[in-house]
Amino acid sequence: MGYHLTCDVGKHVPSVSSILRPDPLHELGEWGGEELVRRKRLLDLGCGDGRFALGVARLASSVEGLDPDEGAIAAAKKTVHRSGVTNVRFAVGAAQQLPYADAAFDVVLLSWTL
Amino acid sequence: MVHALHEVHRVLAPGGVLIDARPDSRVAASIERGRRRRFQVFGSVRTNRVELANDRASDLAISRVVEEGLFRRRRRGRFWHRVPFASLPELRVYLREHLRFVHRARWVVDEATRRRYVNDQFVIRRAVRFELLEKTANA
Repeated sequence: MGYHLTCDVGKHVPSVSSILRPDPLHELGEWGGEELVRRKRLLDLGCGDGRFALGVARLASSVEGLDPDEGAIAAAKKTVHRSGVTNVRFAVGAAQQLPYADAAFDVVLLSWTL
Repeated sequence: MVHALHEVHRVLAPGGVLIDARPDSRVAASIERGRRRRFQVFGSVRTNRVELANDRASDLAISRVVEEGLFRRRRRGRFWHRVPFASLPELRVYLREHLRFVHRARWVVDEATRRRYVNDQFVIRRAVRFELLEKTANA
């Protein structure tokens, strides 16, 4: 695969396993607290298996997760189905062409993605 | 990356917030042995060159969209995150397969000490940086 290492990250390289990442609520606390996402429309770019998106779903009004890794998104969708959360959706896609309308979100997260 | 940030700007509502969080490659991660509630530093591990270049490119992309007036820097900071391992061999396997770190640690304790505590719990303590950027009203 002939991609440019410093320019195409996030487009071709899937996010790595989220198992060893910080706890979502701890991370949110460090960034400024729950108010950052409370009742907000959140887009988690490079969401991987949905670790963060699902971790803060109860706070946000809606959460969209986008990642180029089809396997990770499939896993995230399974987790959503199992957990019964209704305000989270996941899709496969790249940050360079976001499949969303203008001004659709209050918060966009690039967590270990950019 | 700049193109992706332009897309982020497009989908954000006026006054919306972009959160950029990633490992802080400017600071070496430390390898520490867990001793009840305390930790003893055994060594350090740096980020590999490719990832350092990626991080610099990300920094430049953020700076560019700020200069373009699309975003305003609101808040930034750093916190520490510990990745736990059941033993030193488990940590070594993690390092061997890791995409960001160089695969060899720099030890500050001798080999005999490492052998003595090989089956103790270890952590990699790494810095995570974050920045909150606000979509500017006039953009």
